[in-house]
Amino acid sequence: MRYVTRRVGLFLITLWAALSVNFIIPRVMPGNEASAVLATYRGVNPAALHALQIEFGVNVHQNLILTYFQYIANCLTGQFGLTAQRVPVLTEIAGKLPWTLALVGVTTVIAFAIGTLVGVVSAWRRGGKLDGILPPMLFIVATFPVFFVGLLLLYVFAVTLNWLPLSSNYSIGATPSLTLPFIGDVLTHAALPGISLVVVTAGLWIYSMRNNMITTLAEDYVKMGRAKGLPSWRIMIDYAARNAILPNLTGFAMQLGYVLGGSILVEYTFSYPGLGYLFYTSTTDHDLPLMQALFLVYTLAVLVCVLLADFLTAGLDPRTRDA
Amino acid sequence: MVWTWRPNRNTGGRSMRRLKPITVMVAAGALAAACGSASTATSGGSGNTGKVGGKLLIDNESGSTWTCQFNPFNPSVNITSIGFVYEPLEFVNILQTNADGTPKVTPWLATSSSWSSDFTALTMTIRSGVTWSDGTPFTANDVLYTFNALKADPALDLNALWAVNSGPLTGVALQGSDQVVFTFNAPAQSYFYYVADQTPIIPQHIWSSLDQTKLDTAADTTPVGTGPYLMSNCSQDNIKYLRNTHYWQSKPGHPVPQVAEVDYPAFLSNTSANLYLAQGQAQWGAQYIPNIQSYYISKSPSTRHYWFPPTLNVSLFPNLNNPLLGNLAVRQAISMAINRSEVSQRGESGYEPPANQTGIVLPTYQAWYDKSLDTTSYNPSKAEQTLQAAGFTKGSNGIYANAAGQQLSFTIKSISGYTDWDASLQVITQELKAVGIQVTVQDEDSDPYTQDTQNGTFQLAYGEMPVAGPGPYYELRPLLFSGSIGSTNYERYKSSSTDALFNQYSGATPAQQLQIIHQISTVMAQDLPLIPIVEGVDWYQYDTTSFGGWPTPSNPYAQPPVWSTPDNGVVLTELYPVS
Repeated sequence: MRYVTRRVGLFLITLWAALSVNFIIPRVMPGNEASAVLATYRGVNPAALHALQIEFGVNVHQNLILTYFQYIANCLTGQFGLTAQRVPVLTEIAGKLPWTLALVGVTTVIAFAIGTLVGVVSAWRRGGKLDGILPPMLFIVATFPVFFVGLLLLYVFAVTLNWLPLSSNYSIGATPSLTLPFIGDVLTHAALPGISLVVVTAGLWIYSMRNNMITTLAEDYVKMGRAKGLPSWRIMIDYAARNAILPNLTGFAMQLGYVLGGSILVEYTFSYPGLGYLFYTSTTDHDLPLMQALFLVYTLAVLVCVLLADFLTAGLDPRTRDA
Repeated sequence: MVWTWRPNRNTGGRSMRRLKPITVMVAAGALAAACGSASTATSGGSGNTGKVGGKLLIDNESGSTWTCQFNPFNPSVNITSIGFVYEPLEFVNILQTNADGTPKVTPWLATSSSWSSDFTALTMTIRSGVTWSDGTPFTANDVLYTFNALKADPALDLNALWAVNSGPLTGVALQGSDQVVFTFNAPAQSYFYYVADQTPIIPQHIWSSLDQTKLDTAADTTPVGTGPYLMSNCSQDNIKYLRNTHYWQSKPGHPVPQVAEVDYPAFLSNTSANLYLAQGQAQWGAQYIPNIQSYYISKSPSTRHYWFPPTLNVSLFPNLNNPLLGNLAVRQAISMAINRSEVSQRGESGYEPPANQTGIVLPTYQAWYDKSLDTTSYNPSKAEQTLQAAGFTKGSNGIYANAAGQQLSFTIKSISGYTDWDASLQVITQELKAVGIQVTVQDEDSDPYTQDTQNGTFQLAYGEMPVAGPGPYYELRPLLFSGSIGSTNYERYKSSSTDALFNQYSGATPAQQLQIIHQISTVMAQDLPLIPIVEGVDWYQYDTTSFGGWPTPSNPYAQPPVWSTPDNGVVLTELYPVS
């Protein structure tokens, strides 16, 4: 119980710190919403600056402390206001969230599965063919920036071979529906961004999983299993992998932050209209309310995952509960 | 070769004329010199065929998905409502002039307009027989309401019309049942464009029920207007418009508009928008397409055309408060050292033509241009002579310096991601270096760039005005009027005689206005307050396979890009399906 309260306490403190940073950073960025509208949209009379400053309250000087507490209160009650385009922030986020959630969720699970499995098998057959090729290769690829892999895939499969679409989440003119052709369309559009994310993240899982496996395989209880004459798959999965996977589970949460960050770059590269792309446009548009809400969403996602991973570890490994 | 470009700023009415390659390696070919001549089409403007049908697809990168809001006073969404749904009182065509040099005006929701002799009162007669798309009759009260709404909520007054927002408009009133009189605190001819053309009229019976001080945040998801189209369905990725069957311009045997459906997809990237155009899926493009000849035109040369009418100067702004750049000889040397044709070819693939020192954009504003005033010349050796005559001497490093030892070494601020500007500035840097002037390019994000240019925290800046108007006045005044220092007068030019010329303009006759612009051209050509380099253009492509009636160089009846409002509405009423 003490473990849980401590973790929750830490979570709240981190959240508060993140909220405060989120309050300060956009305010020290050069420029403001009114001049950003002028810089962004075409055909706006420069004389509109006055009107836009009124609209966005640019020259309204408010008490910073008061604004800060208002902001915290608004964050807690979910009142994020309107974006620079005058759409409720929550509507805007709700429209893009499913796309990013699906893209990041599915790719992370695939990367985790591939990475862990390859890690387990390559450690089991240490020095084998698989062990000699896959882990080093994927680990090298994992050090590439995700947008670089994205651009490479884009160039090969979309531009040169013309097999897969260049950008967007589904074909222009397609009507979203739960039909096979539309789902197929969505999957072909998600393929390249998805593969980019899988390719750069799978390697990290392999590395840690393989190392854990090797350590675990040297344990006495594994020898015991062998001595008992258990089938080797059972030793591999139940005896070794089950114990070796613990650090990877914690890593899973850590990774999520990396994947979410990567998804911003990937969505930008592929013009994939998810949260990451929205984050990018909100920054260039100097869209304060949207930027802050998105930052909060990202921070919360990572913090909640870390918290869940802590609980999960505690559940799987009794030793951590006393720590 | 396929190009993958991403504009720096989202367009879709977003100002995406400058482009940033998302993939350096995809773009890492040589920028092939492309044909810069506009193609001509056969179609004319007013060829009503009496037929209705077809589905027109618009191709214009929006950079973000649609918000499905249509508030005509929200600059981030109004390109999807003005022209389609909302209409102005009169249409002012900035690309066409009458014989006396005044812009061509077409009555729209007003049937006529007249100025008082001192140009301080404008009377507009409002058209009868027009109905809003919900069936309510349109009246002069709607016009009165619209302009009063701009006063009640200053955030709507995007053209700063009202005196409270530092404009000249002091009152608007009904006269009889069908006339509206606008009164100004000074001669205000130049405001005709903003009152008549740039203010969309909204229905009183709908908007008056909203909070009048917060109309700028109104979502207007189901817009009710007088325009040729009705917004039928909107999703994040597409807006579908259907023709307004009760449109006021329609007559028996003369249906307007003739195109039954218009679709406006949201394109997040330039690449996907260009691909869609090249595949022939869209007919009306407002896209920057590298190598347009091979990528777009060559796939169907008989039906695909483009026309890039220039409307604004892209200029080098010297900060006149800088003691070295405040020296006329230095500015003359810079102007003479730059080969504008070279910049146009190498920086802009020839799509944007070279500019001239009078500040008059050609051929668009030809009527205002006087060749005898033009001092534009490329003459590097004379540039050096000018510097020497002004007391500058070349140092051992090849850079000129004055007697106090101050070197002609400057930074040029530009906007990061505007790759065509970067290419242009590379040419300019080399050419200036050749005459002993050292410049370094410093790219900034557009937001800080805007602030720096407005506040004067730069030495040289490369830039342009955001909007054109019906005549050079609308570009030159923001650039040179001393009252615009702090906003659009980047170079901080201050001259009481020039200010007086601008102040006279709104009360002058057409002949006097021409004289005034000639005198301002002289200022531009002799004082070089800023140095125009190339002329910014409107990107516009069209396909005549399914539709005719497009604006063309020989029939420039409207500004052709779809984001140009309300011109887009004029084009929509002129297009017709061909079988």
